[in-house]
Amino acid sequence: MAATIIIVDDEPDLLDLLKLILTEKTDYRVLTTTDPYEALSWCREYSADVLISDLRMPQLEGIELLKLLKEQDVTIPFIIMTAYGTIESAVEAMRQGAFDYITKPFRKEQIIMTIRKALGKRQELLTQQESTDNG
Amino acid sequence: MGVLDWFRRKNRAAAEVGMAVFQRKYESFKRLLDANNDTLELMARLEAVAEGDFIFDMQFIRSRSQAILQKVGTIVEELNILGDNRYQALVDLYESLREKITQEIAAPVDTEIVPLVMPLSQVDRRHLHQVGGKNANLGELKNRLHVPTPEGFVITNAAFRLIIDENHLTERIRTFLDGLNLDNLEALSSQSRELQEAIRQAAIPPALQEEVAKHYQALAETLGYQPTLALRSSGIYEDQEYSFAGLFLTRLNVPFADFCTAYLEVLASQFNRRALVYLCQKRLVHREQAMSVGCLAMVPAVASGVLFTADPMGQRQGVMLVDAAWGLGPAVVDGTVTPDRFVLSKKPPIVLLEKHIHDKPVLLQGTKARGGLATVAVAPDQRRQPALTPEQLLTLGRYGLRLEEYFGEPLDIEFAVDPQGRLLIMQARPLLVESPSSEARLPAAVGEQEHVLIDGGMVACFGVAAGPVYLIQRDEDLAGFPEGAILVARHTSARYGMVLHKARGMVIDIGSATSHLAILAREFKVPAVVDTGVATTVLQPGQMITVDATHMRVYAGEVHALLEQAHKRTPSPIVASPMYAKLRRVMRWITPLNLVDPKLSDLTPENCKTLHDITRFAHQLGIKEMFDLAEKASQRDDIHSVKLKTSIPFNLHIIDLGGGIEASRRAKFVPPEAITSIPMRALWQGISHPDISWAGPIPIDMKGLYSVVSRSLTASTDHSDFWSRTFAIISYNYLNYSSRLGYHFATIDAYVSDIRNDNYITFRFKGGAADEVRRGRRVRFLGAVLEKLDFEVEVTGDLVVGRLWKYPRELMEEKLDMLGRLMGCARQRDMLMADDAIVDWYTEAFLAGNYRFEGSPQDTAGSPNQPPLP
Repeated sequence: MAATIIIVDDEPDLLDLLKLILTEKTDYRVLTTTDPYEALSWCREYSADVLISDLRMPQLEGIELLKLLKEQDVTIPFIIMTAYGTIESAVEAMRQGAFDYITKPFRKEQIIMTIRKALGKRQELLTQQESTDNG
Repeated sequence: MGVLDWFRRKNRAAAEVGMAVFQRKYESFKRLLDANNDTLELMARLEAVAEGDFIFDMQFIRSRSQAILQKVGTIVEELNILGDNRYQALVDLYESLREKITQEIAAPVDTEIVPLVMPLSQVDRRHLHQVGGKNANLGELKNRLHVPTPEGFVITNAAFRLIIDENHLTERIRTFLDGLNLDNLEALSSQSRELQEAIRQAAIPPALQEEVAKHYQALAETLGYQPTLALRSSGIYEDQEYSFAGLFLTRLNVPFADFCTAYLEVLASQFNRRALVYLCQKRLVHREQAMSVGCLAMVPAVASGVLFTADPMGQRQGVMLVDAAWGLGPAVVDGTVTPDRFVLSKKPPIVLLEKHIHDKPVLLQGTKARGGLATVAVAPDQRRQPALTPEQLLTLGRYGLRLEEYFGEPLDIEFAVDPQGRLLIMQARPLLVESPSSEARLPAAVGEQEHVLIDGGMVACFGVAAGPVYLIQRDEDLAGFPEGAILVARHTSARYGMVLHKARGMVIDIGSATSHLAILAREFKVPAVVDTGVATTVLQPGQMITVDATHMRVYAGEVHALLEQAHKRTPSPIVASPMYAKLRRVMRWITPLNLVDPKLSDLTPENCKTLHDITRFAHQLGIKEMFDLAEKASQRDDIHSVKLKTSIPFNLHIIDLGGGIEASRRAKFVPPEAITSIPMRALWQGISHPDISWAGPIPIDMKGLYSVVSRSLTASTDHSDFWSRTFAIISYNYLNYSSRLGYHFATIDAYVSDIRNDNYITFRFKGGAADEVRRGRRVRFLGAVLEKLDFEVEVTGDLVVGRLWKYPRELMEEKLDMLGRLMGCARQRDMLMADDAIVDWYTEAFLAGNYRFEGSPQDTAGSPNQPPLP
């Protein structure tokens, strides 16, 4: 089954653009929202494989969303999108357990590659979890 | 003290002041150059992003635009220091561009502080988010451009929010929009009717009613009578990246007593079936929905129409098109009558090139009794009279030019003529201009065996598409429209826009390329031919056809040759996305360069239209100021602007800031041996290398020559001595070398001393005479060589920048020597760069010291690329 990618950003135009690119280049199911809380509930509802989030959002900071996600499900890799000049925050996000960060503006191939790596990580984490459950 | 002593002392004092002024101005010049380089790099990056490979957000557009604005601000300031404030006009231009850009990138303001109603006299583009695109543009016309427009007021988005909030509709609308489903048009229709009814039944809060009454009263006082109103919708996303062509309601001739009903009807129209389908098609459903309404004093128009400041089909260059008919505007737009068509030249002085006067049997006008509209017969002697006088056409043309220049893009302008014969502009919106590639204009490669079903009509959207015919005869047929079909119908009804997201092509019997449906077809990139006259009779339902809209032909079956050709030309949907549209809207004030190789006389602030123009202007004038300064300085003993005495055909002027030229050998002409500047000496060694030829033209391959000639034809050039001069500002450790040779521009900024940490070289090379591809090859050649020379290289378009830091002095000298050789070798080399493979050959040859490029693959005798022998 195609992987489910959830993207949250406070700019609808950016979401549209990302969705356009990902659905054109891949067969992922791409769900987008401007509401971080909705993204979080979608992660559970649609068994998301990757969550991509903006760093700065008026409703909830990306890092806070990351913390909430980790409480909910540790197997969903979290990719953070940052703006140029906010690398420190991105590094902080990595410290908090984000899988990777990507600095805007970024190339199409870059996000696809990052998602691919994140999906690899997701598989790894799921396998680990299964073996822990079984063990 | 003797008189002679007094003179000597006075001269010395003047010289010291002179040197201080010169050095201060030189510092300004350096800052100008720095800011110029930074600006060009920022612009080049912005252009690279706009090509369609990047994902970015509004924050990126904002921060980049602001960074560029700041740098250009520095440029303008420094140029004024250099030119003793002689460039004040540039400051004004910069300020106006800054305002336009700031408006484009402005974040939506907090809706809490937006008034419910605003007089039109206070509205402009800054209020875009509160009053919608249409009202904001109208305000801009009225208050910034002072173009005659109707008087009136605007009810903002805040009022809409207040109404739906107080009537408990907010949640209902959200739920409704979230559940929208395009697959079931029937259900969508009934839901749409219910929601519109709920809005029409809503109560208008007393606070809003009072505000409206107050503004209406003020309007009546201004006019001296109680006008009826035209209520025009102005959607939140309308007329920006989305056309919403013909989707919302406009109510004309509304008496104030009927205001509430009419206002609610207009508000409700944003949820009409067609608008909802458009919201889904454009993926705007999840956005906030709001509508502002412009309330304008009704103009009892005797004639109305539309002016396009460019041919929407991009087929005719340098013209403006006017459609006009008697009476009120809707008759022209909705096709009730065939309007008169006028063609105006765009280049001043505007002249009427063509007129096509049609029989206009009816007109739309307001009725006196209780508002309303009526279609009435035109007096027989008026039917075939032109709807506009020559004077009105010329005035209209002048407005068109002014507005297009102001908004920076082609426009679709609605106008009306009042009973006194005065022209009023009713609205201006961006005009989507189709531009088929030159390749697409070529005859299509179609075999003779292909069966042509239709030949002729009018292009509404270029392109090729194949699919089964789906005939629409009534609205009910829309519900069954299958994915991938070709829409065939009798008229260009805007209602058909509802299925355009599913349609692959469109062929229509009657209609114009300027109709709402045609606008929508272009927006959805659906290849379309209108006005074929016969589509519905010739084409059979279900029949497989290929529509070649570009050549206005319809073929039976699938014509694979055409479809393959078209596939290659399909633009990326990414570039067409709203985010990219936003970027392009901002960029139109930033990156276009109008001052392309200008004559010195064209270098005026008035000819600058963008920040790029300002940058170019300031850079060239900055250099000129430095030269002038240097020339003045050269009259004195202590400031040297000298010419290098050399056999190389070079106009190298040197300004020595101290220690750059041997003191004992200062004269008007100095020999190269007198140069003591470390970086200049090193560079000169390379420039004067015995194997480098600076004299005479180099052999040119014919294709290269053609590309140069065609560029010369489009860009006027000035071969005055000034621009071919090369100058160097030097000190013992410093070199700023600028050279404009032919069509390219090279600069070297270097500091070389024994303190390794201070050392740097920045090399920039831009432009060239040949076409983009060949220039690109030369840039790749330069980039490859620079990389081998350990430079950090950045190539953007035809700009190559190489940087090197913190090398020891000897190595820095070596690199400058090589740069001197490289500049000589790169001279006109773009014309020789006939193919990609040659780039590697040149790179290897240069690195091997073969500076004459002997044995080049292009030297082969009899090569078809060689010019004929004289």
